Amino acid sequence: MSEPHPRRAAVTGIGVVAPNGTSTETFWKSTREGISVLDRVAREGCEHLPLRVAGQIRDFDPPSAIEERYLVQTDRFTHFAMAAADLALDDAGLDRPATDAAPFSVGVVTAAGSGGGEFGQRELQQLWSKGSRFVGPYQSIAWFYAASTGQISIRRGFKGPCGVIASDEAGGLDALAHAARAVRRGTDVMVAGATEAPLAPYSVVCQLGYGELSTVEDPERAYRPFTAAACGFVPAEGGAMLVVEAEAAARERGAPVRAVLAGHAATFTGASRWEQSREGLAEAIRGALREAGCAPEEIDVVFADALGVPEADRAEALAIADALGTHGTRVPVTAPKTAIGRGYGAAPVLDAAAAVLAMEHGVIPPTPNVFDICHDLDLVTTRARAAEPRTALVLSRGLMGSNSALVLRLGAGDAS
Amino acid sequence: MSDRITVEELSELMKKAAGVTVAPEELKQRCDSGFDALGIDSLGLLGIVGELENRYGTPMPPDAEKSKSPRQFLELTNSALLAGA
Amino acid sequence: MSRRVAVTGIGIVAPGGIGVPAFWDLLASGRTATRGITFFDPAGLRSRIAAECDFDPAAHGLDAEQIARCDRYIQFALVAGEEAIRDSGLDLALENPWRVGVSLGTAVGGTTRLEHDYVLVSSHGQRWDVDHREAGPHLQRAFAPSTLASTVAERFEARGPVQTVSTGCTSGLDAVGYAFHTIEEGRADVCIAGASDSPISPITMACFDAIKATSPNNDDPAHASRPFDADRNGFVMGEGGAVLVLEELDHALARGAQVYCEISGYATFGNAYHMTGLTTEGLEMARAIEGALDQARLDATAIDYVNAHGSGTQQNDRHETAAVKRVLGAHAYDTPMSSIKSMVGHSLGAIGAIEVAACALALTHQVVPPTANYETPDPECDLDYVPRVARERRLSSVLSVGSGFGGFQSAVILNLPREKTE
Repeated sequence: MSEPHPRRAAVTGIGVVAPNGTSTETFWKSTREGISVLDRVAREGCEHLPLRVAGQIRDFDPPSAIEERYLVQTDRFTHFAMAAADLALDDAGLDRPATDAAPFSVGVVTAAGSGGGEFGQRELQQLWSKGSRFVGPYQSIAWFYAASTGQISIRRGFKGPCGVIASDEAGGLDALAHAARAVRRGTDVMVAGATEAPLAPYSVVCQLGYGELSTVEDPERAYRPFTAAACGFVPAEGGAMLVVEAEAAARERGAPVRAVLAGHAATFTGASRWEQSREGLAEAIRGALREAGCAPEEIDVVFADALGVPEADRAEALAIADALGTHGTRVPVTAPKTAIGRGYGAAPVLDAAAAVLAMEHGVIPPTPNVFDICHDLDLVTTRARAAEPRTALVLSRGLMGSNSALVLRLGAGDAS
Repeated sequence: MSDRITVEELSELMKKAAGVTVAPEELKQRCDSGFDALGIDSLGLLGIVGELENRYGTPMPPDAEKSKSPRQFLELTNSALLAGA
Repeated sequence: MSRRVAVTGIGIVAPGGIGVPAFWDLLASGRTATRGITFFDPAGLRSRIAAECDFDPAAHGLDAEQIARCDRYIQFALVAGEEAIRDSGLDLALENPWRVGVSLGTAVGGTTRLEHDYVLVSSHGQRWDVDHREAGPHLQRAFAPSTLASTVAERFEARGPVQTVSTGCTSGLDAVGYAFHTIEEGRADVCIAGASDSPISPITMACFDAIKATSPNNDDPAHASRPFDADRNGFVMGEGGAVLVLEELDHALARGAQVYCEISGYATFGNAYHMTGLTTEGLEMARAIEGALDQARLDATAIDYVNAHGSGTQQNDRHETAAVKRVLGAHAYDTPMSSIKSMVGHSLGAIGAIEVAACALALTHQVVPPTANYETPDPECDLDYVPRVARERRLSSVLSVGSGFGGFQSAVILNLPREKTE
């Protein structure tokens, strides 16, 4: 499909709850300035575990963001999701009367990879220490992957298509693409994204089995993709929700079209087969460019997956070169997630949010803690770089083998 | 813990199990309001019943979770406690 | 012109029937596969019954390494996947792997292994600061729900869009729906679609106990699951998996494949009402049915059979009856509507795919599976629920519906391809 679709999917709102900011403004300021907030894991019950560094949210106060009756029945990952959805909807100027007027035209799709781990661990403890009668009524709706989509839909009265992609990291981009397709099929607004809360003790124990997990103790050295010192990735919590809206619907209500979800493709090359991910990621990039009707040279910035495993980093650098040709070695590449860690499905959604903000502000955010690149990439390190990116490519790969690519175009320039 | 479930205890459980804050004084005045008007849904009421069963070590009548109002709920649950005592 | 989507292969692991022939035999005979729980000691639980699979992974061709690495629900998907691919006659070596996708649903994923290892690392729930040294070697695979689609994609060397879908109890319908859209939109030519769950474990049984959603008919497990019956009192937990090979119709016809049926419509909406509660009106499910009909370009009167969600809870069966009547109108009374959960239980995320498979088989055999255990009519559920005995009937278009925790309401339409009915 090289023709622009008649119902293009626009980004009209961004809501972020991330380790470096619990509002879109603070997230962007910190991201642009390249401030790393990776820190020693300070969660009750995690002190003794071999995971030392993570991206943790410290200034999020659930009761000030969410009604208590929703808090008691949900896990932290859903607290983040509800709060991020509120921020995104406020940002888009979609208030309750506006969405109540047409509830079936607003849907929700989230990606979820870790579920309600803290809530689940608490209830497992009740069951196994006291007995089945001590398991509460909310376990059935708090632990499962669908909790965030369901609660956002109920809390805000959205009756449109609701979905949940429980895929690996790349699922975050797939959720955005799912939203774009729902818009093309006729839904006016989709609230789409991902949030994760994988830092409960048992959830951390589960992740220790990932060979790619960094267990380095020094926050400045724990996550350094594309360098000779790459030693794995650091996990994170939080995420982002975007308002994805039919471009015509946004224009009709006078909402700024901030960006357009122009193209996406997903492939699969096997769990932890990083060398093969080169071919899979390149294929995904080509597919996303094709759908966007975008030439490789039009890509002004790449938000890299940046796993931080040497073999995977090499595969990604080569995939960019394979798909973008010589332009691949010239285009600025960045990985702001080195400041906050990788929040599984939420990581590429935060990257998509950062990509929209980068295009709006004319600046490419840096890749903190990363120096001495050992790949043929123009990686934006230390300081943000002034630029005028109009088209961004966001990449993501998952530990279970998915590769995904998303092309975003700056909105205003696309007005026709 | 007394041998009867009081309005104070119900108020505390409404907060703990359903996240709904209604002070005991206010709850006394609204004892005939519907639980739905107070913001307690079916799962919230099930949570309150479960908590009471575990505290008092006795099953509550099956109708307790279908009570429409705090007054009805307290009458049902306290009659079960009395019968079990 | 939009691309049409065919079902060319089916594989099933279900209680009372591993493999399509045994599964269909169970449905056609109206037998039930519900029994007292044998997987663990259910003492202390309110609902101590389930529909368990007598499943021996080695007998179904899985090797020792697959058995060790893969949770039970993934083993189901692998075995059902093998059967479906074999059934389709598809030679994957001849396919472009970038055009082969996977879309599999699960509601609770690796919960059973997560609970098993939790008990070890927490010393039976005694510590919050769990001891990682006690964890098993494959725990991270249980933690990541995407292990489901990933493992199946690796087995069949699919390299196209691979996703795991988790929309609670509509996961199976939605996974098939997403796969249908994937092919229709041209993002793949073949999609291995379906769902799997193995939720019969203490934590999952306990969490449904806590909301009294499951049936306490412990004294008569074989008749415990009673959808639409006036005496119904909850669902009976099940487990299992189903995999369908979906294929772009021309792609299937070009290789001379058997075509069970087409998938022609899918829609899903949220009820924005309650995480577990359902309205009495069924407006949102009705909307999903209308959306699926629109996409299939079918009038409501074209529906010959409704495969119900029919979980057997008081509220679900009322809700669903209202939704179907809202869309089908007077035609609803002439349309058989049955719930196979009466026989195979409710396997959470898996059941939607198992039900789509049952619809495809119903079209093939021109037989409507019954609602077992249906005896006493409920005035609020006044449709034809096909009591106890399967029924021969001319079927060309059938509807499968589902509701899930979180408010999900989904509908899928299957029909015999025109080439076949003419």
